[in-house]
Amino acid sequence: MSDAPDVALEDVRKGFGATQALRGVSLAVGHGEVYGLVGPDGAGKTTAIRLMAGLLRADGGRVRMLGEDPANPRSQVREGLGLVPQRNTLYGDLSVDENLHFFARLFGLSKEDFASRRERLLDITRLGRFTERRADALSGGMYKKLALACALLHRPRVLLLDEPTNGVDPVSRRELWELLYTLVHDGMTLIVSTPYMDEAARCHRVGLLYAGELIAEGGPRELARQHGVAASNFEAVFLALVERRNGTGGRAA
Amino acid sequence: MHPLVVQYRAVVVKEVRQTVRDKRVMALLTIAPLMQLFVLGFAVNFDVRHVPTAVVDRDNTSESRDYARTLLAGDTLDLKAEVHDERTAQELLERGEASVALVFPQEFQEDVLRGTGAQVQALVDGSDPVRSGVAVDAVARHAAQRAARLMQTDAVARGELPIRPPVELVPRVLYNPELSTAVYVVPGIAAMLLLVVTTIIMAMGLARERESGTLEQLQVTPLKPGILMAGKVTPFVIIGLVDVGLALSVGAWVFHVPLRGNLGIVALATLLYLLSTLGVGLLIATLSRTQQQAFVGGFLFLLPAVLLSGVMTPIHAMPDWLAWVTYFNPVRYYVEVLRGTLLKSASLGDLWRQVVLLGVFGTLVISLASRRFRKTSA
Repeated sequence: MSDAPDVALEDVRKGFGATQALRGVSLAVGHGEVYGLVGPDGAGKTTAIRLMAGLLRADGGRVRMLGEDPANPRSQVREGLGLVPQRNTLYGDLSVDENLHFFARLFGLSKEDFASRRERLLDITRLGRFTERRADALSGGMYKKLALACALLHRPRVLLLDEPTNGVDPVSRRELWELLYTLVHDGMTLIVSTPYMDEAARCHRVGLLYAGELIAEGGPRELARQHGVAASNFEAVFLALVERRNGTGGRAA
Repeated sequence: MHPLVVQYRAVVVKEVRQTVRDKRVMALLTIAPLMQLFVLGFAVNFDVRHVPTAVVDRDNTSESRDYARTLLAGDTLDLKAEVHDERTAQELLERGEASVALVFPQEFQEDVLRGTGAQVQALVDGSDPVRSGVAVDAVARHAAQRAARLMQTDAVARGELPIRPPVELVPRVLYNPELSTAVYVVPGIAAMLLLVVTTIIMAMGLARERESGTLEQLQVTPLKPGILMAGKVTPFVIIGLVDVGLALSVGAWVFHVPLRGNLGIVALATLLYLLSTLGVGLLIATLSRTQQQAFVGGFLFLLPAVLLSGVMTPIHAMPDWLAWVTYFNPVRYYVEVLRGTLLKSASLGDLWRQVVLLGVFGTLVISLASRRFRKTSA
């Protein structure tokens, strides 16, 4: 890990009308880390991911991605960034291969590079048999894998995944995580948002988001130990933290 | 190849694939304009012919019968019914079964022969001013011709020289000698359809990208908004040019619209016109969050753009302030180029103002749309 973090949020605030989605969130993710943004729906996970991707501008604070402001259209950050959004945002009326080809062209991949990367990505995502199938005819899990393949074509340094396992069956979920670990071995930095507490245990570090605030941060085992529960029972950690934050019992449920 | 060219080509290929695969969009782009051209070409007709006419002939003499027969011989007025009194004729007018009723008084022939000034009353349904105006003109013209002929006959009978009118009008209609409405209207309809199709498709296409989230996915790639916009516009420019070609072919083949002038001028003007129509589509898309908003926004623009273009109603008939507004409407200039080139064989020297203004509007609109697009998608 190098000293300068790949991704950093410093006292970041973002609101939508009367709703404050993020209230002074600070975090830093180092190179090669798998960082989990864990929290319930409406906690501010997607807003944080979109700020990191440069799709939103912060109302206050500072966002840095690979040392640059990602919201600056002149920044070169897009060359080193991959995003798998929560929604299905590929071209449903294009085939698997056509989607891959399109995004490869946008990232300026040569024919040779595309051919080799396509082969590898189709292999690790097991989409090789479905190259002619339209994206909107893929199952939820396969669609996520295609989105991942499209985001990986240009070999980004940082990959942002917004609830990648949402709506995906358990088998595909496990496959997807195995795939993500393969990427970490290749030296990529991963930031994964998820509402599933059990997925926290798969990350190197997690940031627990609740009502726009980062209520805890650390390694999943370390956080579990602090609360006297098993790392596999991360939900108990989260609930305890929410209760402490609210100063009441059971309001977080 | 330069990376920007590679990106541009990728967007064009994607747009073409998506457009070709969407059967509804393809139909909207190709078949619908042609069908509308057919329907509107036949339906929009200012020619007034075969006006149903009732005749009340109280005189029932050879003179009154001959007068009615010769008046109804042309194709402007058609005999609908012969009735005995004015009340029945008026009932026919009220029910819309007749638009004109000719009433011959009892002494019609006697008055004609005496030369004391016979009168024929024409009751005209004024609810349709165009139709009634033409009917009144036809009746008046016939009366004048008849009077001139009677005066000549009288003069000859008195052994005098035939009377010649002091001034004789010799009309010669240029460019559209048969005064066919279709010849005048079809080029305008082609301009209108091109406007509707390209503006709406462009606005909805971009709004769809925004709505479905694909635009956001593109925003995390190095693709520049300008290249995305150029790539999205290109296929529709080509489709627009093809549409105009088809519309002119159908116009010539079905409606006998002449193709007299230089079609290169038409192609140039179409290209510049498409910059405006597609630019407006993009502009609407940048102001819309959903396809529905884009659709409504498109129609809010299209309606005044068509009405203030001279396609349906002549601009000189509009109030001065409204006619002034039409100077800011590119549809007006495109229609002028189409009519000028096709009907009058006008040259670029005759139409340079319109072509330059189309270019100015196109550049302004596309620049504005581009700036807004960059701002909203940055």
